[in-house]
Amino acid sequence: MQGVMTPADIEAAQHLQHIHETPKSFVKHYVFSIDHKYIAKQFLWAGLLFLFFGGMLAMLIRWQWAYPGEAVPVVGNLLFPDTQGAITPPTYNTIFTTHGLIMIFFAITPIMIGCFGNFCIPLMIGARDMAFPWLNLLSFWIFALSQALVLASFCVELGSAAAGWTTYPPLASQVGTPGLGQSLMVLALFVTGVSTIMGAINYITTVIRFRAPGMTWFRMPGTVWGLWLTSILNALFVPVLGSAGLMLLFDRHFGTQFFLTGAAGGTGDPILFQHLFWIFGHPEVYILILPIWGFVIDFMSFFARKPAYWFRGSIYAMITVTVLSAVVYGHHMFVTGMSPLLGQAFMLLTLVISVPAEILFLNWLHTIWKGSIRLTVPMLFGLGTIFVFGLGGLTGIYLGTISTDLYLHDTMFVVGHFHLTMASAAFLGSFGALYLWFPKMYGRLMNPFLGKVHFWFSTVGLTLVFGFQMLAGYAGQQRRLYDPFQYSYLEGLQDLNRFTTYCAFALAIGQLAFVYNFFYSLFAGKRASQNPWELGTIEWTDCASPPVHHNFDRIPVVYRGPHEYNHPEVLEKLGRDWIGQTEEFDPAADAATSDEVAATA
Amino acid sequence: MHNVVQLHPQALLEQRRNEQTSAIGMMVALGSWGMMFAALFFMYLGLRAHTLAWPPPGLPALPIALPSLNTVVIGCSSVALVRALRSMREGQRRPASLWMLATFVLGLAFVGLQTLLWWTTWQQGLTPSTGTLGTVFYSLTVLHALHVAAGLAVLAYLLGMTLGGRSMAERVTTLRLCGMFWHFVGGVWAFMFVGMFLL
Repeated sequence: MQGVMTPADIEAAQHLQHIHETPKSFVKHYVFSIDHKYIAKQFLWAGLLFLFFGGMLAMLIRWQWAYPGEAVPVVGNLLFPDTQGAITPPTYNTIFTTHGLIMIFFAITPIMIGCFGNFCIPLMIGARDMAFPWLNLLSFWIFALSQALVLASFCVELGSAAAGWTTYPPLASQVGTPGLGQSLMVLALFVTGVSTIMGAINYITTVIRFRAPGMTWFRMPGTVWGLWLTSILNALFVPVLGSAGLMLLFDRHFGTQFFLTGAAGGTGDPILFQHLFWIFGHPEVYILILPIWGFVIDFMSFFARKPAYWFRGSIYAMITVTVLSAVVYGHHMFVTGMSPLLGQAFMLLTLVISVPAEILFLNWLHTIWKGSIRLTVPMLFGLGTIFVFGLGGLTGIYLGTISTDLYLHDTMFVVGHFHLTMASAAFLGSFGALYLWFPKMYGRLMNPFLGKVHFWFSTVGLTLVFGFQMLAGYAGQQRRLYDPFQYSYLEGLQDLNRFTTYCAFALAIGQLAFVYNFFYSLFAGKRASQNPWELGTIEWTDCASPPVHHNFDRIPVVYRGPHEYNHPEVLEKLGRDWIGQTEEFDPAADAATSDEVAATA
Repeated sequence: MHNVVQLHPQALLEQRRNEQTSAIGMMVALGSWGMMFAALFFMYLGLRAHTLAWPPPGLPALPIALPSLNTVVIGCSSVALVRALRSMREGQRRPASLWMLATFVLGLAFVGLQTLLWWTTWQQGLTPSTGTLGTVFYSLTVLHALHVAAGLAVLAYLLGMTLGGRSMAERVTTLRLCGMFWHFVGGVWAFMFVGMFLL
């Protein structure tokens, strides 16, 4: 990739990445695989399983808010035999705590970053595998260990973690949550953090070193950019959570006093945990959205059949957000007690983030403006992502502003807001990506009708559920209440809460369309051609569906960016509205481009 | 004894490139590790800023002599490892082994002296649960020492490989990565020495 792209360089690139032999044994092929595509699938399955788990926990929370203390229908007696199916307050604490942790760390992260990071990065930059395949293998199995720890935490006395997903001490100390489950969950977070960092090391290095000849930085698809920037945030900020978790474990088991004070017995400072948690926590929300932004940049261009509008601007905006995300964490602590001057600074920085976010939004809209839009399932999910993220982003402004946050803090408004941004947007974006790349992963097409059913249930469901939650929060309903309606001023919100719960159940039922579609297509879907969506990125133009074990017999040479749709000359000469990144088109023009490559490298 | 393995130019290019790739991966990893230690330091500074006097009243001051000696020890071990890597690159097995052995012994001495340090402070009545001083002192130094121990394990493995007559060209990358980690751990100690014992 360095210097002039001469034939000799292209030849040299062929030898720099080994062709791994296709493993013969079952274990090496299906269990301890070092193939990035297979590891991606492992992450996908592990993530989907826990997505189901976390989703069921969400349904229990919703039930509790609609009919507090009443027996859960159907599964109640099975889950809570001691109380004839009713959720008790301690169980309720465990449910909402583990719902948050499982969804963020054990469902979204593996699906979005573990699966699509692994699958897309090497294929889309033209590499044969990750830079460190063994580290990749280890990354998955360490992740599996962390999931096992999560499951184990449910099996011990007093149940799993119950101190809220933020795990603040003193509640998370031995005094607040004495059960072993809390420790196991914190340990699981630490272990999954190790796995995430291993993945990040791989992604960052692979993108820096293994881009195919001609694949300049700005010829990388938005997807790769998003995943790469996310990996940088992961590498830098997940260790901070790891440190905080470690200190919490020391406090719980080795008698240290980092966060213990007052009645908990010590001279430490629990507020410092909040700092550490949000130093990680705020970048984390961008960790969960940057890949989605990347997907959306690509999907809009792919299915509007137009070049992405001001692609560089979108990338610069993502880089800006990546940098800013590190310096805004204080907006989570406006009511914790902070110097007003510091609070003002955090507020200003927080609101500044809306500028690059706005650039991204306008670029997406400009991209589809007057495009030849194909409303495929991934495109629908992309548009849905934009919609829910827009709602969530706009309501974030109220929370980033101190004066309004003082009122809204710790209400359902916050819950609705962050579920729209980092849960709904991540959910819809990830499913869009799954519908897009499923044919490449498994070589079969998914049913578009069921995909659309899934889309409408999901998008409408998510919007209603979290929209109503914001409404309840605006009306004053605090988050995390076991029985909100024991407070007379919230009694009037019971009907709203019930209706929200029905919406949530509809949302859950709509997921069956996906489950059926996924399993049916896996085994009996129509065989996918190499390029069913008619896209120009490398994984569609240079790899079979599914790709061979080493991806490319010859490392491809890249001539242009990822979004070349409806180019007039291509239309005229090739008679189609797309051209591959690796397709030689006009030798004279291509030669000029390779000089450009030389100039930019 | 010069046994430079004559590699084919293409193979040499490949090896260099792989080494660079690994070094980039290691840098990212060390960035992560650095953030982990930075968070621990943040905690230390935060706790210290909350206390009017440091050490907190009634607790003994941390010793200074042993940590100073240890700073010298770990500094020397880093120098020795630089020399080991240089010898290995030149294909000189004996000096490479000797310098690696020196690094290993110095690293072991570091852990030994740290243990002595813990023993001394424990005798003075400082335990992990005696206030924030004990908490940060033991947590940070023990976590650091565990990293040194991990480095020692890799060094021992490499030393065994080198003495066992394995091709050194293959081990250069591993030693270089091990060296990066080792210097990083030494750097963290330098921070700890200044931040916790000197100031």
